[in-house]
Amino acid sequence: MSKVFSGIANFFKGEGWSHYRKTLRYALYVILHPFDGFWDLTHEKRGSMAAAHTIVILTVLTHIWDRRFTSFLLNNTRWSQFSIWLNIFGILVPLIIWVTANWCVTTLLDGKGHFHEIYMGTAYALTPYPLIGIPMIFLSNIVTKEEGVFYTYFNTFALIWAGFLILCAVLMIHDYSLGWGLVAIIISLVGMAVIMFIVLLFFSLISDAVVFFVSIYKEILFRL
Amino acid sequence: MKTSTKRWVVLLMLLCMLLSSLSSALADDDDWYTYSYSYWGEEMASPNAYAVTDIIYPTTLDPELGKFSSPGGMFCIDDLVFVCDTNNNRIVELQKADGVYKLVRIIYTFQVAKDLANLIDFEGEIDNTLFNPTDIYVKKITLEERIETYGEYRGELYEFTEGSLKPEDDTPENPDENTQENTEEPDSATTSDTEDGEGGEGGEGGEGGEGGEGGEGGEGGEQQPKPVKPTERKPNVVREKLDREYDLYIADSQHCRVLHLDYDLNLVGVIRDPKDDTLGPDYIFHPEHLVTDNAYRTYVQAQGGLNGFMEFDKDGNFTGYMGAAKVTISLIEKIWRKLKTQEQKDRSEQFVPTEYNNLSLDSRGFIYATISAVEDQEIWDGTATPVRKLNAMGTDILIRNGNFFPMGDISWGNTKHAASGASRFVDVIAFNNDTYCCLDKTRGKLFVYDFQGNLLYAFGNVGYTRGRFSQNQVTAMDNPDEETILVLDGLRGNITEFTMTDYGRMINEAIRLYKIGSYDESADVWRTILQYNGNLELAYVGIGRALLRKGEYKEAMRYFENAHDIENYSKAYQHYREQVVEKYIIYAVVILAALIIIPKIIRKIKKMRKEIKEA
Repeated sequence: MSKVFSGIANFFKGEGWSHYRKTLRYALYVILHPFDGFWDLTHEKRGSMAAAHTIVILTVLTHIWDRRFTSFLLNNTRWSQFSIWLNIFGILVPLIIWVTANWCVTTLLDGKGHFHEIYMGTAYALTPYPLIGIPMIFLSNIVTKEEGVFYTYFNTFALIWAGFLILCAVLMIHDYSLGWGLVAIIISLVGMAVIMFIVLLFFSLISDAVVFFVSIYKEILFRL
Repeated sequence: MKTSTKRWVVLLMLLCMLLSSLSSALADDDDWYTYSYSYWGEEMASPNAYAVTDIIYPTTLDPELGKFSSPGGMFCIDDLVFVCDTNNNRIVELQKADGVYKLVRIIYTFQVAKDLANLIDFEGEIDNTLFNPTDIYVKKITLEERIETYGEYRGELYEFTEGSLKPEDDTPENPDENTQENTEEPDSATTSDTEDGEGGEGGEGGEGGEGGEGGEGGEGGEQQPKPVKPTERKPNVVREKLDREYDLYIADSQHCRVLHLDYDLNLVGVIRDPKDDTLGPDYIFHPEHLVTDNAYRTYVQAQGGLNGFMEFDKDGNFTGYMGAAKVTISLIEKIWRKLKTQEQKDRSEQFVPTEYNNLSLDSRGFIYATISAVEDQEIWDGTATPVRKLNAMGTDILIRNGNFFPMGDISWGNTKHAASGASRFVDVIAFNNDTYCCLDKTRGKLFVYDFQGNLLYAFGNVGYTRGRFSQNQVTAMDNPDEETILVLDGLRGNITEFTMTDYGRMINEAIRLYKIGSYDESADVWRTILQYNGNLELAYVGIGRALLRKGEYKEAMRYFENAHDIENYSKAYQHYREQVVEKYIIYAVVILAALIIIPKIIRKIKKMRKEIKEA
């Protein structure tokens, strides 16, 4: 146990902490200079996985806070049907599937990026969402319904910005031209659908198989 | 150690399974009678706003009456109830005296003056019988007023020849069946029930007189039984002679005419053979439902009338259509039409959207109309309006401010009964406080909406117990007074009387107080209602509105949040924000001022010190 604590303590004292802060701060540079930023992110190693994880966690938290703390006027959450797990996995699962699908596709399409680089790039591209979303939660609580359009506009803007950044990330990480990048993204989206289909198929087959063996077992018990 | 953990896990899983099955068993038990919808469209149980107080079985009223056969229309005025016993070709008049319904008379025929006899010529015969009367409308009018408006109609009576009428030409009927029909004791009735999936109906519920309500001709589903022309002039049965001053308007549908009679059954006028270019040469006028307004205009909903209601003046002349919706053509349709051949165009022309199926007049002369010949999807997305309120121009002025459009049920498939799909309104009645009630035949339910289009409560269902109806077969309803509703079940041929409960009265009282501007009193009533029904979101809105007017914004916001009323919440919040800002602005100013002034003073003091030092 003491090892873990000392490890954490060392991390905060040592090079790791300052590196982490530097890479996290680099996200702010990336979102304003996407082309340079994403190029350097992987090729110059100016990003870190720790920072990427942080941004993903922040994104998930922002999403949940948005549901929880946004003013009643702009918040159409049906609390009786609300599930925090659904909200967490509603972001994490598509993210993982996206990274997987994109990795599969770009491997075939001559992409230069590795799996962790795609993850890192996507995570950095999500930065605008918490960056704009969190202030918007505060803002929502001091506006009326008419003024609430600002909340909607800014949040939409954040999503568009993040989408644009994901495009840039794909272009820079895989060293694609714009056309190839778009093609890769579209095929990745199709790939996501295929992955989800296969996963569902797999689960339903497994459950069918389980039911089959259970019924055989029951039948044998019955006959004995 | 390990095995015990496993055991615990298995035990927990078992517990979970048990609990989940338990909760689903609880969830199944949501078969409440009266309900309203929450903001999220969930059915919320409600106390009964109406309770069944009586069920009228015609067989128990009078031995002469027999059973109803597909009764299609009903009208209540004062203490009288007129029922169109459609397939028995008669109209039955009931009276409620001392809380009991009794037969007044059975109308098979009417009288006509010699001068007017040619008005009721039907296929070459002066026919004073009724042939499938589908609806009746009754209006108060004095004799003088009637003569002044319609001219003298009395005179020497036309002498009808005794004996049977000419049989129907185009439909060869077995004469045995016809006589059987006219003695109105259809024995083959019970067999027809089974094909409807309503088998065993007579047995369940233990209600007398429910056995053979099918009448002759299969009642299966939507299929209308074949009308059988009366073969003889049956004398009217008069149990009680009443002295009333009414006008009777009868949609004598298979005789292709609307009869206008006085209360003593003398013919005043006839509406028949409407002449218009829009009605092709082979158009046959089969009136189904009608009303007559105070300007003596008659609005008729006729079979196959796709252009709205047919409007007739007091002399029975066709003056035009009323309430036809404008055909809106989208850009794509316009382009598409350009590419069509003339033949295709002609065919598509026929799809004019408005096919009403019933109408009623409210106390101020607005027509409430229902439409059911629309797709489920159109009802769901709001492109179709199952209920409309038409002004004199025929424009729909119904207010639809509720969370959902007035379309009946919002969840269509989760009822335990076989009925699924959108609600189909077959009748509507309007009350004096602008609430209105729609009758849904899909599930045999009544939906009452307030003047803003909010659902107050819905009740009824398909079933065999009191207050439940046969599926797809309720045909008409009417209200003798503001607190009673009669519903006519076309398959069972009985009439269910609903009377308003205290809960319903309280809601009406709250609405009344709100409409006259007594918001605080209205809120007090809503508070009482909340003690009966905490689910009623309208009550929260009502209280919230009163609080908003009083200036208790914070409290108002709480109530609006309960009702999920975003508009009003926003209004309350705006005021509340102003209050907060006003309250704290002084501190903010002081602090701001302090932040600006204090450094200045400090600087000045420093300067002075410096000067002093230098000096």
